Amino acid sequence: MEHTADATEIRRLQGCINDLISVLALPAMWGGQEAEQIVGTLLDVLIGMLRLDFAYVRLKDPAGEGPIEMVRLAQSRSPSACPREIGQVLHDWLADDPRKRPPLVRNPLGDGDVAIVPLRLGLQDEIGLIVAGSQRADFPAQTERLLLSVAANQAAIGLQEARLLSEQKRVARELDLRVAQRTKELAATNEELKREIAEREWAETKLRQDDAQLKRSEAFLAEGQRLSSTGSFSWSLANDQLTWSEQTYRIYEIDPATPVAFLSVMNAIHPEDMPMCREKVQGAVRDGRDFELEFRLPLPGGSLKYLHVVAHATRDQDGQLEYIGAVQDVTERRLSEDALEKVRSELAHVARVTTLGALTASIAHEVNQPLSGIITNASTCLRMLAADPPNIAGARETARRAIRDGNRAADVIKRLRALFSNNGTAIESVDLNEATREVLALSSSELQRGGVLVRRELAEELPIVTGDRVQLQQVILNLVLNASEAMSQVYDRPRQLVIRTDRHNSDRVRLSVQDTGVGIEPSNVERLFDAFYTTKHDGMGVGLSVSRSIVERHHGRLWAEPNDGPGATFSFSIPWVGQL
Amino acid sequence: MPPRSLVSVVDDDESVRESLPDLLREFGFAVEAFSSAEEFLASDAIGKTHCLILDIAMPGMTGYDLQTELARRRREIPIVFITAHGDESLRPHVLERGAVGCLLKPFSETALLDAVNAALQVS
Repeated sequence: MEHTADATEIRRLQGCINDLISVLALPAMWGGQEAEQIVGTLLDVLIGMLRLDFAYVRLKDPAGEGPIEMVRLAQSRSPSACPREIGQVLHDWLADDPRKRPPLVRNPLGDGDVAIVPLRLGLQDEIGLIVAGSQRADFPAQTERLLLSVAANQAAIGLQEARLLSEQKRVARELDLRVAQRTKELAATNEELKREIAEREWAETKLRQDDAQLKRSEAFLAEGQRLSSTGSFSWSLANDQLTWSEQTYRIYEIDPATPVAFLSVMNAIHPEDMPMCREKVQGAVRDGRDFELEFRLPLPGGSLKYLHVVAHATRDQDGQLEYIGAVQDVTERRLSEDALEKVRSELAHVARVTTLGALTASIAHEVNQPLSGIITNASTCLRMLAADPPNIAGARETARRAIRDGNRAADVIKRLRALFSNNGTAIESVDLNEATREVLALSSSELQRGGVLVRRELAEELPIVTGDRVQLQQVILNLVLNASEAMSQVYDRPRQLVIRTDRHNSDRVRLSVQDTGVGIEPSNVERLFDAFYTTKHDGMGVGLSVSRSIVERHHGRLWAEPNDGPGATFSFSIPWVGQL
Repeated sequence: MPPRSLVSVVDDDESVRESLPDLLREFGFAVEAFSSAEEFLASDAIGKTHCLILDIAMPGMTGYDLQTELARRRREIPIVFITAHGDESLRPHVLERGAVGCLLKPFSETALLDAVNAALQVS
């Protein structure tokens, strides 16, 4: 029997150790589980293991919400038993002072009493409380107490871990939430940023495009300025600020970094041109007018530039006078003009000499006529003085005539010398009537020889013109000789030349030479003025083209028109003094 | 004393008409001066003139024209042409036309006297 008792005891102890191992293995099952699952498992295990009638757990909620309560009943019990009733009974029991608690309570599930074992979860009961109840009389045995306390400890640890885990999860969730929130905010901010960046990029692109456009415009402008040798400038009088374009600096051959001032720019002008420029600018500034200058600019190397400046007067927003203008380097043009002028002058000289060549007979006549008079008169004078008695009165008269003829010869020489000379242009006041008389005096015998009748219709009180007298006489002479030439083959009508001066269009003086010659074809009228165009076999075509250029340089014009009757009329008109 | 020979001068230049007659008178000739060929033809001098001093180039009727007209009228008056135009090359051409002399201005008093005397010889 003792042997049987021992064997029973051994089996009991073996069962107890197995239970203990199972309880100790519980935390491995609980890993990662939440509080409800942990206590659920615990209660199931304890009911089965200790053959309890019920097991109850109450967990304090760390978040301060209501406690979690759970009841497990033995499987043999009616499922209709209400956990709430058990809870109510235990509530009352637990509310008592633990020292006064009776070890038995009335069975809430049936008849009789139930032995109850409360187990704290945690060192105090900060986690919660487990209550095990059984109707067995031997409950709780010593080993059962041990298993319950180990299980409670294990549960406390597991719950603690679960709580930590939950807290971690909560924190993690919170963190995730915050991160998500933050991420969302960041994403929004990012979107905003992207939009801003895009806007900025668009603006920058636009700016770059505008800038490129501007640069291109500037480049065009600079290229245009360079090609046309034209620079620009602005001059604000209020603060005497002068601003130059790159090309203006290039024209002045100054480094673009050099600041420029009006005074130094004026002082750079050629001394001979400066007074005129200064006067013009001062006058324009005084009246707020535009101005235009042409002057020479001496360069350090000793060469000269010819500059043409046009300035337009404007007002800035404060109403202060401001000039905007252009500076053009006209050196090449001026040099070409000078060269052209020289050629023209040489051509005019050649034409003059050629014309005079044709006039040789006339010249001889003009000189020989007074020479003849001098000799004849001097001979007569000597004879009168040698007579007995000497004819003093007659001698005096013939001597006077000799002197008169001498003066006449001198005048002819003087006129010839003027016509032969090539002294360039000499500007003076010219009386076209007087000039015409001189030309007719020189050519009268030539005209006479050609059987030409000359009629003068010179207007009285003809206004004086300004110009080169000799050149204008050259034109008149050309027209007269051409007219004579045009009539050389005319036999059936008088060879009449009418030379006429009059006022023309109130501001001009006109001179016309009308002939009764072969006339001109209307289709040839303009070609007549081409250099070297001639209808004559031995003509000097250069005459009319040079004549026209001379007249044009006197701001006038030269034209030809057929007469109503036979012949043609060549006329020129030039402004009279006061009209220029 | 025989009547002085009449020398007629036809020239459109007034200074010639002033000076030349004075010199010819100093030589002892009678002189009449005319400013154009037409004036000479219209005058009574045409029948009395022993020597005609005639300018070649004149407006209207020229010296040559007058020479032709006188020939047409059978008036054989010795002619001495004077001219300020041209040179020595003109002289043979003028003499060929029947003139007695040809004086190119300016001419000396000797040349004038020789030419006039030659003309008077012819007449």
